[in-house]
Amino acid sequence: MNRNRRNVLKALGGSAAALGAQPYLSFPAIGQARPLRIGIITPKAGIAGTIGECGLRGCQFAVDRINASGGIAGRKIELIVEEETNPKDSIERLRKLVLQDKVDCVQGIISSGVSLAMGPVAEEMKALTIFWDGTTQDGVKETMAKPRYVFRSTDNECEAVMASLLVVKHWKGQFKTVAGINPDYSYGRNNFAAFQALLKKFGIEHQVVADQWPKVGTTDLNSHVAALKAAKPDLVFSSLLFADLPIFMRTAHGAGLMDGGTKFAFPAAGFQHTALKKSFTPEGMIFGHNTLYFDLPNASPLQKQFVQEYEAKYKDYPHWEADRAYFAMHVYKAGVEAAYKAKNAWPSQEDIISAMEGVKIESLGGPGHMRSDHIAEQTFYQGITTHKNRYDFPTLGQIDTMYSDQLQKPPGADFWKWIETAQIKL
Amino acid sequence: MTAFFDILFGGVFHAAVLFLVAAGLQLVFGVQKIVNLACGSFYALGAYFGVSAVNWATGSGVPPHLFLPVLLLAGIVLGVIGPPIERLLRTIYHRDEAFQLLLTFALVLMFQDVLRFFWGANPQQLGDLVMTYGKLGAGGVQVPTYNILVIASSIVIAFGIGGFLQRTRFGRILRATAENREMSEAVGVNVRWVYASVFTLGTVLGTVGGALVVPTAAASLDMPVELVVEAFAVVVIGGLGSMRGALVGALIVGLMRALAIRYYAELEMLAIYLVVIMVLIARPAGLFGKPVE
Repeated sequence: MNRNRRNVLKALGGSAAALGAQPYLSFPAIGQARPLRIGIITPKAGIAGTIGECGLRGCQFAVDRINASGGIAGRKIELIVEEETNPKDSIERLRKLVLQDKVDCVQGIISSGVSLAMGPVAEEMKALTIFWDGTTQDGVKETMAKPRYVFRSTDNECEAVMASLLVVKHWKGQFKTVAGINPDYSYGRNNFAAFQALLKKFGIEHQVVADQWPKVGTTDLNSHVAALKAAKPDLVFSSLLFADLPIFMRTAHGAGLMDGGTKFAFPAAGFQHTALKKSFTPEGMIFGHNTLYFDLPNASPLQKQFVQEYEAKYKDYPHWEADRAYFAMHVYKAGVEAAYKAKNAWPSQEDIISAMEGVKIESLGGPGHMRSDHIAEQTFYQGITTHKNRYDFPTLGQIDTMYSDQLQKPPGADFWKWIETAQIKL
Repeated sequence: MTAFFDILFGGVFHAAVLFLVAAGLQLVFGVQKIVNLACGSFYALGAYFGVSAVNWATGSGVPPHLFLPVLLLAGIVLGVIGPPIERLLRTIYHRDEAFQLLLTFALVLMFQDVLRFFWGANPQQLGDLVMTYGKLGAGGVQVPTYNILVIASSIVIAFGIGGFLQRTRFGRILRATAENREMSEAVGVNVRWVYASVFTLGTVLGTVGGALVVPTAAASLDMPVELVVEAFAVVVIGGLGSMRGALVGALIVGLMRALAIRYYAELEMLAIYLVVIMVLIARPAGLFGKPVE
């Protein structure tokens, strides 16, 4: 049982302790009656299992800190975690969380396939839902133009846009032929198309000599690497991001694809950063770490504490899914507390949603905010890899930081027209 | 020319691994008439266990260059799961083929949970161990030596099984049992023991395949389904139950895949299944469609 006498007493006890520690906060007893229930839907297995796991750890870090400081408006958080699998089953779990567990908010989702299917259902059920990720749109067109109950993270194409900008910034004039090896679904297709559109925007003449589309989960990439090698590209752009990325890197290194001065840009390498060992991952590549770069020299005390605790607890280093989960939880917290403050009573879901629009957050990776059209803006990190570090995998030697308002279309805009017309500073 | 050899090696390496799994499938069907969907799970189990065995061995001071024998041994040791699973399958030997598919598919699902229970959800990899043996190269062609060793291992296993089936007394017993189980029993063959042995051998072929491939790839929960689809294409092309068919079918599938990826990547699976359709039309029993050779 999730709700029992012991939980209620613990919640009351915790809240009382927090109130004692922070006398300037005061919430009525009704607000402390039961914990806030947050339903989390995230993958636990398969190719995205490791990503869901990291997100869940970031979420747990946020919840532990929030509960230790008295909860959200005086109410502790209780997580109910369900597994994200295919769209149909994941939607069933959403229904279960909303109808049976009666959660106050649903968070999570990594896969675009799931989020695209789940969004309209969450809207229909009037279930407040905040997606961590999985925001690749159908041909980059918004499938939910004006959602009321669903909030989502930044466009998945942000990392491809930023990596393309860094290619232009660092390597303009140094390449003429390009090749792509990208996952065979809308994310990979959008990313490679965005890369080419941005090269065109900046007047870089280029020829695509190979484009490979391995299916997600492919573990033998020898033939793909052979095809890339045969095309002799000056630059390879790859948004591989699951376990296939280290396999590609190892295979490409073994086949000598990296020996001829070919340049590489990996917008989503951060998902696999610790698996990309120095022995087969050369320096000088563009790596994207999205909204959390764990080794940021001037990181906030919050990020430093998180990374230290993560390393101590899991013997690993976090990637951006932890930040997305932390961001989602704190957007909800900020919305509830702002609505509570305005009403001086426990707010309705509609009040919370209105308060979440425009709310600003200091997330693990840096500042962010939730736009009025329910799309997040966050800080992105990418750069050029180096081996000069204490790890057995490359980190960023030269770091570029951009806020996502430079990387994603503004509310209501068409993605491709935005690329053509946007005033982007390199 | 460099591109030709790169593509050739890519295709043959894929075929080498595919052959091991398909050979297990063929052997079991040829003798026991069981379509074993769980062959992909044995492959995945071999990969996961191979990762653990190598990590344990290197942690225990075994020199890294001995990881290939460790992987082979890991795959062979997993043969212990063969007899109990074969015992389970005895319940459906004389029932409709749909029961075989249902039971072996249930095994796929159960194995997926077993893998998740012991190794977790995250894909398991062996880092850069594959480069321990270095690379072989000539001109612009570079191939990790390990890939060559895997291809060589598959060739040795293929000829070993061929010789075993053709030239040994037990091989003759297997072929006789495949041809006529009742007659074999009548002349004193212990068919139960033969079936347990064949199933164990089929299991070992799958687990060795998984263990050998993992340094170049990753052990993941998606592996069983990923490979079994191609393994069945191999079986249809080569002919159900034929070991020679498994070898030729694996080569056709591996090379077709490599060529499709080079020239029109989006048609990777279409190219393979076009061959399947052509074979089904021209030779419905497959290129070598005999029970067991």
